[in-house]
Amino acid sequence: MSESPLSHHEQHEAAANERVHFGFWIYLMTDLLMFAVLFACYAVLHNNNVGSPSAKELFTLPLALKETLLLLTSSFTCGIAMVTARRGRQTATLVWFLVTFILGLMFLALELSEFHEFIHEGYTLQTNGFLSSFFILVGTHGLHITSGLLWMATTLFYVMKRGLNPPLVRKLGLLSLFWHFLDIVWIFIFTIVYLGAYV
Amino acid sequence: MSQQHKPREERGTIESYVTGFAASLAFTLIPYFLVRNYHGTGKTMVVTIMALAMIQLVIQIVFFLHLGRGPKPRWELLFFYATFSMILVVVGGSLIIVHNLHSNMSVGDQEKRLVDSEAIYQVNGKKTGACQTTKANHRIVITNGVVSPLHITADQCDTLTFISQDSDTHTLVFGNDPTHDTYAGQGEISLRRDQKTDTLTLSEVGNFTFHDSQYSSLTGSFLVVDSSGY
Repeated sequence: MSESPLSHHEQHEAAANERVHFGFWIYLMTDLLMFAVLFACYAVLHNNNVGSPSAKELFTLPLALKETLLLLTSSFTCGIAMVTARRGRQTATLVWFLVTFILGLMFLALELSEFHEFIHEGYTLQTNGFLSSFFILVGTHGLHITSGLLWMATTLFYVMKRGLNPPLVRKLGLLSLFWHFLDIVWIFIFTIVYLGAYV
Repeated sequence: MSQQHKPREERGTIESYVTGFAASLAFTLIPYFLVRNYHGTGKTMVVTIMALAMIQLVIQIVFFLHLGRGPKPRWELLFFYATFSMILVVVGGSLIIVHNLHSNMSVGDQEKRLVDSEAIYQVNGKKTGACQTTKANHRIVITNGVVSPLHITADQCDTLTFISQDSDTHTLVFGNDPTHDTYAGQGEISLRRDQKTDTLTLSEVGNFTFHDSQYSSLTGSFLVVDSSGY
């Protein structure tokens, strides 16, 4: 046999990984339910613009595409970062996660600029049902992205300080799961909110 | 290495991420250009982009989340299915309920109902067809089952009073016998021993006939013309 069987310690570690991973998965699924409710609100309220501009008049598709491509690419680089992290290559992990972080930051900047533009033109959370549900849905996603970025920054700080040890790899694994999850939620925001406004 | 404790570390490879990324890009750009080059609205388009989003979801789940590739039993997958069903119920249910509410209780329908039942003259400066004030009064007298006069011509928003001098009850309905139509929302004119007169506001324009629901020979007609530039 070319591979040696796992030591007792490694088996223990693997079982712990499974448990933590599953616990985090349950959190993600409840979070997904929350997003589903916000999507339902948007689906119900998106035509209630009460004289203000409609979704089609307000949204610009190229901006939404840019946001989508940024987040999609960051999801990809995050996956690559995890592959390198599991192979124990610390520098590559840091570089790929840094790329992910910058892409995430760019996404957030675009989203905030869009929000700022709407609010500047006088279309706020309180304008009508459509905008309330829009700001809450997309804003909740943006808050998740923000917390993901903070989480990434602190974890990367510890990687630099302590080196790429197994508990940190496990944490990065959960972080990447969270990041992919946010990408999936965004796909539906892109489809339902932005593309949906034009069909 | 025992299959039971195959570590999660073994799952994602560079190749799987590259494949997933390429497929995701494709399924982002396809709906984007479909929508950009397609003008107008359509259910087909909604279904198409939602289907493409679902394919995108599957791609991301398989290539990025690696769901369903862990050791059995696959609790994560099970939990995902449960969540997905709940989402279908919540989102689908909300849409069905609100769609139903919207088609049965739309503002337009409610307004029309209110205008008809309360004879509201205008809404937001738009005339509804109901009369604001009434003008001249016309009379139709029924004596021994004979209508006098047999025909009346009146302007819109005049009033028409039916008077019965008989001891019998006359129930007048609109339309030619045997049809029972309505005039301006009113189904019949009832002239009884204790209440021998009844007045109509002539808000509806046109030529109308009426007859007694029992004695079909008792008939008459009235023409309402829109001469006021109303």
